[in-house]
Amino acid sequence: MGRPDTRETGPVPMRRSRVRKLLVVSAMTAALLSLLVQSASTQGGPETGKVAAARRAGPPKGPVPRLPDGTVNLMDGVWTGGGPVNDLESQGGLKKGELDALLLPWAKALMATRDETQEPHNACLPMGVPRVTPFPYRFVQNYTHKAPTHMFILHEGNIHTFRQIFMDGRKHPAELDPTWLGHSIGSWETKDTLVIDTVGYNDKFWFDRRGHPHTEQLHTIERWTRLNLGQMENKFTLDDPGAYSKPITMTFMATLQPPEDELLEYICQENNQYGAATIPGYKGPSLGNQPVK
Amino acid sequence: MRTKLAVMLAGFAFVCMAVPVVAHHAVGAEYDASKPVTLKGTVTKVEWTNPHARIYFDVAGPDGTVKNWNVELAARSALARQGWTARSLKIGETVTVEGHLARSGVTGVNARSVTLADGKKVFSNNNDQ
Repeated sequence: MGRPDTRETGPVPMRRSRVRKLLVVSAMTAALLSLLVQSASTQGGPETGKVAAARRAGPPKGPVPRLPDGTVNLMDGVWTGGGPVNDLESQGGLKKGELDALLLPWAKALMATRDETQEPHNACLPMGVPRVTPFPYRFVQNYTHKAPTHMFILHEGNIHTFRQIFMDGRKHPAELDPTWLGHSIGSWETKDTLVIDTVGYNDKFWFDRRGHPHTEQLHTIERWTRLNLGQMENKFTLDDPGAYSKPITMTFMATLQPPEDELLEYICQENNQYGAATIPGYKGPSLGNQPVK
Repeated sequence: MRTKLAVMLAGFAFVCMAVPVVAHHAVGAEYDASKPVTLKGTVTKVEWTNPHARIYFDVAGPDGTVKNWNVELAARSALARQGWTARSLKIGETVTVEGHLARSGVTGVNARSVTLADGKKVFSNNNDQ
């Protein structure tokens, strides 16, 4: 007689805990599915027109919501803020000159050639990391019956963009062909903070309208900590030995939008007339580390 | 009196906070804030699109020559969140547009307000997000 197979007849408490786990995961999957179905419509709904008015009440108030596994639920609404638009330095809470002092000479010289009309963002190209737009984004976590596998950040605005963050414990590949949003791996730190580590960026996007540059050596760490229902901090570390003399950390605040809000369709390429007729001598966007000719 | 003033100031600050001041792009590079203009004409086309909704309208100059103007509004997404729709303005309606002229001198304007013949404003609060 061989050893009895206990897989089907394991101790009762273990089976119960498995059943409970399965129920929890099923419930989470059902909730996620309904969420995805809702988000699949980019029409918003009859409530969309009330969003601007509802925003005047300020961020929703309440405690940090959590998933059955104890980690923070980031999927209960759409967010705005949490990154720079105009100026990485001042919007990240740094003192004037604190970031610029770290620019290597070539990067400083490149930035001096840039003006806001040349930014790739104006040509409906992606905004990069950690930049945001005036339009909302949504965190969506994908699960198997065991654990989260991916986190997606779906950005509505300019342009429809998704970030894919691997939550399954894999490492960054040794070699990557550079992309706008890089290769991201994520993990939960003490169930309170989602840490996203990203490498493999191209050098094309601008951090902000001022034109803060970076290179393909860019490595970013985002620490997303939900402070309460309505607010989430993004502690962002910029580490790019190709353009900055040392790593630096800054802080941005994201705001949960009112429940009336959903992601809408935003096709930037449909009717982008930026600059072509309105700016005398408009030359188009400046990508990468070469100044516009 | 002082309390009333404080309440008013707080209210004003609150309203300022509630209106995001960022746009898809920096408007100032394309349109000249030192060149305000008021134009009245007939709507010929409504484009309910991103990154900007636009209306086109025929405006008669002092010599009677009619030119078609391109009016940049906020993003469709932003206008929708304020309650406006593609049906908020119809082709053939008369509108008065206040805004800033394009830097290049083309018949283009970034609208600060669009007012119907009966005085009602449409697409108000535009260009703020």
